[in-house]
Amino acid sequence: MGTTLPGSTGACFDSLNTGVAIIGENNSIVYANPPFARLINESSLRDSIGESVRGSTSARLEFAKLFDDKLRNVGASTLELHLDAGAVVTLYIGARDNSLRVIVAMAGASVAADSSISLAGRLDPLTGFGNRLMYDETIRLLKASDTGDSSIAVLVVDLDNFKQVNDTLGHGTGDELLILVARRIRKSTRSADTLVRLGGDEFAVVLEQGLGTAEASVLGERLVALLGQPFLVQGHQINIGASVGIAALGETTHDAVDLLRHADLALYEAKGLGRSRYAIFEARLEQRAIERRDFETDLRRALGLRQFSLFYQPQTSIAENRVSGFEALIRWEHPSRGRVSPDDFIPLAEEIGEITNIGSWVIRSACEEAMRWIDQTLSVAVNVSPVQFGNDDLVEVIRSALHKSGLAPERLEIEITEGLLLNKSKDVMKRLWAIKDLGVAIAMDDFGTGYASLSFLNSFPFSKIKIDKSFIQADCSPRSKALVNGILSMGASLGMITIAEGVETLEQYSEVAKGGCGIAQGYYIAKPMPALEIPGFLDSFAYSIRSRPKS
Amino acid sequence: MTNALYRLVYLSTNQITGKHAVIDEQLCGILETSRRNNMQAGVTGALMFNAGCFAQVLEGPHDAIQDTFERIQCDERHSDATVLLFEPSETRAFSNWAMAYVGKSMTSEQQFSIGSDESGFDFSVLDGDAIYRALRANLHEAESLG
Repeated sequence: MGTTLPGSTGACFDSLNTGVAIIGENNSIVYANPPFARLINESSLRDSIGESVRGSTSARLEFAKLFDDKLRNVGASTLELHLDAGAVVTLYIGARDNSLRVIVAMAGASVAADSSISLAGRLDPLTGFGNRLMYDETIRLLKASDTGDSSIAVLVVDLDNFKQVNDTLGHGTGDELLILVARRIRKSTRSADTLVRLGGDEFAVVLEQGLGTAEASVLGERLVALLGQPFLVQGHQINIGASVGIAALGETTHDAVDLLRHADLALYEAKGLGRSRYAIFEARLEQRAIERRDFETDLRRALGLRQFSLFYQPQTSIAENRVSGFEALIRWEHPSRGRVSPDDFIPLAEEIGEITNIGSWVIRSACEEAMRWIDQTLSVAVNVSPVQFGNDDLVEVIRSALHKSGLAPERLEIEITEGLLLNKSKDVMKRLWAIKDLGVAIAMDDFGTGYASLSFLNSFPFSKIKIDKSFIQADCSPRSKALVNGILSMGASLGMITIAEGVETLEQYSEVAKGGCGIAQGYYIAKPMPALEIPGFLDSFAYSIRSRPKS
Repeated sequence: MTNALYRLVYLSTNQITGKHAVIDEQLCGILETSRRNNMQAGVTGALMFNAGCFAQVLEGPHDAIQDTFERIQCDERHSDATVLLFEPSETRAFSNWAMAYVGKSMTSEQQFSIGSDESGFDFSVLDGDAIYRALRANLHEAESLG
């Protein structure tokens, strides 16, 4: 055991994994924690350090002189100690403060670039854990001393819902919680494990003599369970949770430097699987991350590289048997990926915020295209993501697109999905009304598949509701028909035009026509087509109507 | 704030398994350690247990309660702690440290070395308290499930 230090100061150093000693007047040791005592035994620092130095008496004397010189200087310095066993210990000597000074002993040689960093620079002041610098140093030393059969494992621990604690109870409570979290982690680990606070609510544990992933998993499971237990802080009961990512040397890598990145990827996986669990790194996680990153980069470039285009799918008025408008549908043609489905890239575009730019381009392009059509009564429908409703820009984008293209506002139709109305946010309603006030029509898309709450229909005067294709394409059972007819008559009663999406057969067309549906759209009428084909389509559609014998 | 008197009530799952003698020994150990630690920290309260769960009432200064709770959390002899109450309290309901076996069968009480005489557990202190009634209900339910 180390020399004791009265009061609570000792306790806080005792549990560190780095050797710490405090020396007072006459360079006597006031305190040394157990790791320090392990690295440099005995109580008299100068003598013991001198004695443990490798080599002849003269070498020891020389070291003692060097050490004395360092201690005479009140400033901070470092000193390498070559021990008998051939091991190297680096002493980081802190600046003298009120006749006391701190000496930190770490196994391994010092690195010139880092020797200027004081102890404080390696420790997290809040938890007493090491910080990112100490993590890097630990890994570097492990890598340097790697004999090829080491089984180092890294666990990254991230708290779930910690932000909520800071937001609702304040940062003071949050900090105190982090101290308790650190204490629980410390109690679950051995003194040889390196404990690090990577930042915020993220911690890391480096297991140096572990048995690889097997032992790390046991600790991972223990930490998830323990940090999921309630905390009592400043009179509050706080329940958080923790997710853990684990990576070990072995199958996936032999380089300790990879471990943090791998553990982070495993952590991401653990969170994706529903949090409060641990996950072990696998090569496929890295592959997936790389693919996602490439996909994201490609998506961010797509607009600039003009890889997007709009296709237009005709909508026909059933009663008048004429084309009433087109829905603009985005296409992404990537040189190596080929055609990428919107189902694949729109969610990512929403996540990374790129949807704002893409969405604005869609609105502008669709308005310009509609102005080129011979029939200037045809409408153009554009899909707008809930993310685009996140700020007032959308209203401005629509206003400016109408202004620049000269399109009559009533010809433009914005299609939104039920998801937008889930929160019934005041801002969203305000923007919907602002768009409606421009004279633009607003349609409810994919009706019936999402939350299908009738209260949504009541919350805003939609001009149209689009019945999801799954209803139109459903079996011809009386139940399916009853459902479609029900939606159709509801739309009629509410004064909203109904559109049947995904009409693929004459049978489906006749069915919705019989039920009083206003507009039909789908392969039965035409597939989505590039803008260039629109004039030809309009001609042939009109011709086929004229040439069709009247019944 | 930190020295104000608080009361904590929580339930947890008993993870002690094994033969009766082992359980008995473990429980004696818990009682022994609790008495010693709690005395020093100024924490009083009651520990109720059976084969299924532990129910604990702790009273004392805020920070002492926090320390005690943290220590208990790291004890693998129990799990799944549910806090039922954590709030400032005007007075202590328990003036010292008590422990009791709360099972359906009263004869079981005799089977553990911690008899009610030794524990000094006084049911009447919390009688009429809704929390206490809930605790007892949970204890009985846990025993029947266990």
